Amino acid sequence: MKFTLDNIDGHLVGIAELEGRLDASNSKPLQKIMPEWLEKTPFLVFDCSRLDFIDSSGLGAIVGCLRKAIDNKGDLRLSELNGKVAMVFELTKATRLFSIFTNRGEAVASFAAGADPGSAK
Amino acid sequence: MKTILALREAECAWVRDAFPCVHPLLLPICNKPFIEFLIDFAILVGSPAVRILGDGELDAVERYCENGSRWGIDISYANMQTGDSVETMLGKNRRFCDKERVMMVSGFSFVRYDKRRDYKSLAGSMPEGEWVAGPGGSITLFGAPEKPEAQAADAPLSLMALDGMASYYRASMEALETGADRYVLPGYGGEPGCAIGRNVVMSKSVEIRKPVSIGNNVQLLGDAIIGPSAIIGSNVIIDRESTVESSIVFDNTYIGEQLEVIGRIASGNRLSDPVSGVAVTMEDPHLLSGIRKSEALGALPRKIVHALGALILIVLLAVPFLVVSTLLRLGGGWRSATGDYLSGKSGETISLGKVEPDAANALDTIASTLSLDRYPWLFRVLTAELALIGSTPLPAETQHPNAPANALAYRPGVFSYAEAEQWPATGGDAAIVERYHLVHSGPISDIGLVVKAFVNRPHEKTTP
Repeated sequence: MKFTLDNIDGHLVGIAELEGRLDASNSKPLQKIMPEWLEKTPFLVFDCSRLDFIDSSGLGAIVGCLRKAIDNKGDLRLSELNGKVAMVFELTKATRLFSIFTNRGEAVASFAAGADPGSAK
Repeated sequence: MKTILALREAECAWVRDAFPCVHPLLLPICNKPFIEFLIDFAILVGSPAVRILGDGELDAVERYCENGSRWGIDISYANMQTGDSVETMLGKNRRFCDKERVMMVSGFSFVRYDKRRDYKSLAGSMPEGEWVAGPGGSITLFGAPEKPEAQAADAPLSLMALDGMASYYRASMEALETGADRYVLPGYGGEPGCAIGRNVVMSKSVEIRKPVSIGNNVQLLGDAIIGPSAIIGSNVIIDRESTVESSIVFDNTYIGEQLEVIGRIASGNRLSDPVSGVAVTMEDPHLLSGIRKSEALGALPRKIVHALGALILIVLLAVPFLVVSTLLRLGGGWRSATGDYLSGKSGETISLGKVEPDAANALDTIASTLSLDRYPWLFRVLTAELALIGSTPLPAETQHPNAPANALAYRPGVFSYAEAEQWPATGGDAAIVERYHLVHSGPISDIGLVVKAFVNRPHEKTTP
């Protein structure tokens, strides 16, 4: 998982690129590394453009990350969910928990001061 | 006029990919196999005989349609070569056509018609040639008009090519929305836009929003929202607080709790978006899964665990049973009546003796507390005639909606899941509980439920 930091309007936004599958067998590394990322910034974007598959365990891990981000007075936003991953989010109503953007740039920009996260697609 | 229905595999290859378990001609459109819409149309046109031609296997279709006696017509089957022209097909089926006028429906298209209109006179007066054509097929008439001078009123007729998931979804929704006005659709419906099949068990809090079509043996659990525009197949479970809207749920599909299926096609553990064509195969059985009755109920480990459990109870209860039942028999308080009950195998029955202690004295109370009335049944678990825990045995003399032929899951048990969960032994909710556990419970959880049933039974008897 590649993690980079971006500065947008004074907000430090962490961008994590999720790849391949996120399921019961490989969701633990994400939960493990999350505190490290949160030490750097509580404002996070998960770029899911290269995420091919997610199951309920993977979804649980992402929801756990969201909870931790909110506990740190930040937020976790998602970008570029492919069709299959988006279907799992819609099926489980997880789309209501996250702000989801069509591309990473929009997701990062949404953290700019005054930006309305409600404009998420 | 006779009818030939010709289908080439290439025209419906997408069905084989998207729904591998369904023959393209049996693809359900609003819970009715595609072939039945064509047969209905052939009947409307006045065909006494229909021949189904295919360049692939037709075994599944033959098993379903048989000889057509169900519709009061003759149905026969024949193979054709992929490259056969219309003339070749007619030539090969010359004996079937027998100099009569022939209507040939070719291609994989949904025929839009209106059952209230007179297609018989119309087809009889139409000149030879193409009647209607579309990108996915055509309807052509061969032979001279039967009544060329007849003045038949025009009737709507068009074809919608079923060339992919999107057109299939559109055709299904169109059939649902136009409903029983234009087509003969399955299910009972007290009001327009709501057709419900046999043995549908709904919790009280289920919300139905028309139009909907629901198949047979469906369980809709608490707070589920079905519709608008939902087509639910047969043997489907929609679990609690889930929503199914503008979607098609195929037969034998389980939709888990608190899910939202909107604008989708769910088939077993596969969820598809008919618009984009994206399909995802779920790996979480608690979200979306196929229901396989035989595997769930007939698993060997489950049978072994049940037999071991029964053996333990037989040993533990042997002395109390011999003492208490003997004393009760001597006192006339052990009344037993033998009856026939439905077996887990379709069409078979088992004979069970049912004991009803009076619960008027201490011995009766001991018998009830230890479930000694069920003691003789435990031996039937060893012979696999009964499960240790399963469905409440249903009397064979009545046509029960929960009978194996109808029910999603039924396996009579010494104890019932309804007893374990303290549901009243009769009623729809008990049936839901029993079927849920039959499908979802495993050998270990069965043992826990046996203990619960054993503890709860005396309590149930003392509760008014």
